[in-house]
Amino acid sequence: MADSWNTDTGEAVYRTQDALKNIRIRVQMERLTSTASLSQHLQQQLLSQQQEKTRKKKRKGDVELEALSTPPQKGDNEEELVLGWQEKLFSQSEYELYQNKHSCRTLLEDQYHAEVTALSRGEGRRNIRIFTYTDHDDHTHRLPSSQTPCPEDSLTTSKSGPTLLEQRMANVRHRRQDRHLIDLGIPKTKLINWEPSEEWVRSSHMVTRAMQSMQIMADLGPPGRLGEKKNECLLMTIKTDGSGTIIVKPDFNKGKEPYRIVTTGDKKEVWSLRVENVSVAMVKDDHDKELHMYRDLYVRHKEYLNSLVGSNFEMPPPGTLRYVMNGEIVSAKGFEYDNLYIHFFMELPNNWSSLPFHPLSGVTQTCRTKAVGKDDVAFFSFPFNFEAFYMSEKESDGIPQWPVLYFKVLSLDFWQRYRTEGYGYLLFPAVPGKHRVTCGTWRPLQTATVSALRRFFIGGSPELEEPSYVRVPGTFKGERLSRFGFSSESSGSVTFNLHCIQQAHAFVDAIVLKKRREKVVEQLGGFSQQGAVYNILEAFQKARRKMQEAREGLPQTLINATSKLEMNESNA
Amino acid sequence: MAELHIIGQIIGASGFPQNSLFCKWGVHAGGAWRLLSGLKEGQTQVDNPQIGEMAYWSHPIDLHFTTKGLQGWPKIHLQVWHQDSYGRCQLLGYGYCHVPSSPGHHRVSCVTWRPVGTWQEQLAHAFVGGGPQLRSPDTIYSGADRYRLHTEAMGTVDLELGIITSRFDKFGVES
Repeated sequence: MADSWNTDTGEAVYRTQDALKNIRIRVQMERLTSTASLSQHLQQQLLSQQQEKTRKKKRKGDVELEALSTPPQKGDNEEELVLGWQEKLFSQSEYELYQNKHSCRTLLEDQYHAEVTALSRGEGRRNIRIFTYTDHDDHTHRLPSSQTPCPEDSLTTSKSGPTLLEQRMANVRHRRQDRHLIDLGIPKTKLINWEPSEEWVRSSHMVTRAMQSMQIMADLGPPGRLGEKKNECLLMTIKTDGSGTIIVKPDFNKGKEPYRIVTTGDKKEVWSLRVENVSVAMVKDDHDKELHMYRDLYVRHKEYLNSLVGSNFEMPPPGTLRYVMNGEIVSAKGFEYDNLYIHFFMELPNNWSSLPFHPLSGVTQTCRTKAVGKDDVAFFSFPFNFEAFYMSEKESDGIPQWPVLYFKVLSLDFWQRYRTEGYGYLLFPAVPGKHRVTCGTWRPLQTATVSALRRFFIGGSPELEEPSYVRVPGTFKGERLSRFGFSSESSGSVTFNLHCIQQAHAFVDAIVLKKRREKVVEQLGGFSQQGAVYNILEAFQKARRKMQEAREGLPQTLINATSKLEMNESNA
Repeated sequence: MAELHIIGQIIGASGFPQNSLFCKWGVHAGGAWRLLSGLKEGQTQVDNPQIGEMAYWSHPIDLHFTTKGLQGWPKIHLQVWHQDSYGRCQLLGYGYCHVPSSPGHHRVSCVTWRPVGTWQEQLAHAFVGGGPQLRSPDTIYSGADRYRLHTEAMGTVDLELGIITSRFDKFGVES
């Protein structure tokens, strides 16, 4: 008897990408009781004696006494089989059952009958004690979970029956679910199942994935009395979910100690069980070929994508900065009257240019406000695009001035009364990225009551002659701007969403050389004189270094010839 | 040769006068842009919120663009519709916004407006529903013709977009 047993009979999970039909499992069972070994020994003795006696009989012609016990048959005490996936091996009871045609009720049983008759006509079964239940078998054959190699219940009080959930789950596991291949081909029609059947409800409300399973059983009855249902014992369960996961319970022995099965009943007998995975592993060549194929496929797909993408990108001319602004006017709130619209335009300071035929101004739609909280809000959702180029000629220009967006908010009502509601400006941000800016506005005010009455009754209010007065008027040349005497009234606010992108050749160099950009002018990799001189000097240094390195590689004779030249050079 | 990935979802909408809403959305980009994979337009399901006011769609957006220039950055256009219990659909709002250009996670709120007609049409809208719609919503992108419209502010659509850019920095683009 083996001294140590493997008591770890938990599940083990394996994953594979190959076809499941290639799996091969070897099951080896051996009975291990002292009486068994003794009886074996006795039987062997008897057999040898019999053989001797028959030999003697042939010579002498004596009458022999028949041995009382039946001669030992193969499979009484041990059995070893190699099984494939879903290979149906019949037990003694099934064999006898299916030989009788009248006991077959379903198509499956008819098929079994055909197989059994073929077997009985042929060489007979290759298994004696070990048999299998495949996925097709009726679930009434399934044993309750208590007959496993470890017959222990999960709870101490086993009086309560299975819960509703457990019953439903058990039913689901034994049914094969029709798998809808819904990956990319989503069914466009019939997305909703309006009349689900009971079966469908059960299968789709439960979380478990349908598993195909196979159970390897053994008939542990005493030799000569096989085929009784109560002696059947579950050896091993193999489950798969169809996507490459195999769950084996208990796990393969892998060279460790065998498992122990103790029969319940009058005679407690001990059997040892070994299971091994003897599937043929993929040959290394095939494996490599498969890997190469996958790699080729991915490389080719990548190349295809690259070819679609192309390799050129529009760059601004060197030395210029391209400023792209994608923005939208989101909303306006807090204004006095309703039916607002916004009229805006951009202003480019010096050194900035833009493309011809590119609109630099726009008018939104007229929008009626709605109340959000305390304020009346008008939603515009008006996207605009803007592109400008900056080129600095001289370094003394200092920090560049960024473009400005001037806007005015106006209201136009049903009676065609037209009023200015506010003026404001927005300075384009210097930092690229996303910005959400809210700009306040004001409108010019005349303190006399007449203008207020006019504004109320017939519309019409003072407007600015030059909209850039909002910030710094274009005509301003002095040092101090004075707005003394100008009265205004604050008005509502306008919200903008801005996405700024900047592009320049110098950014490429900066990233490549991992330089930190310090001065704004340096960002542009300037055409400024200092920059140019520095570039030339750097190029000269690089060339000199290359020449020196090249010279080190030359043979001695050449160096001597040119050494005179070199001395002259260094002296100069 | 630069690539742009837009991966996100249309979360839902709020602030509309009716609740049973669905959204038709699309992404439109300029001529230098090419869509490598993903669906650039679609329609969400109808959501009728039982609790609260916001209708949730959680509609996925997964796009892969490649571009040869910075012009024509992709824009999203949205149309929010209302479906009532009789199955009639009514336009509730148009919304337009740019796809963010800086890489990262962005929460975008796109506001919407609805075109408004004459006072007779407004009266009819109050009783029966319906209302003027744009003949071709795409022309509104340029913004040149918008001044002709008289509109009314409607609700807000929330989007959550993750932006991944590739090889933009090789061409000196800072975003």
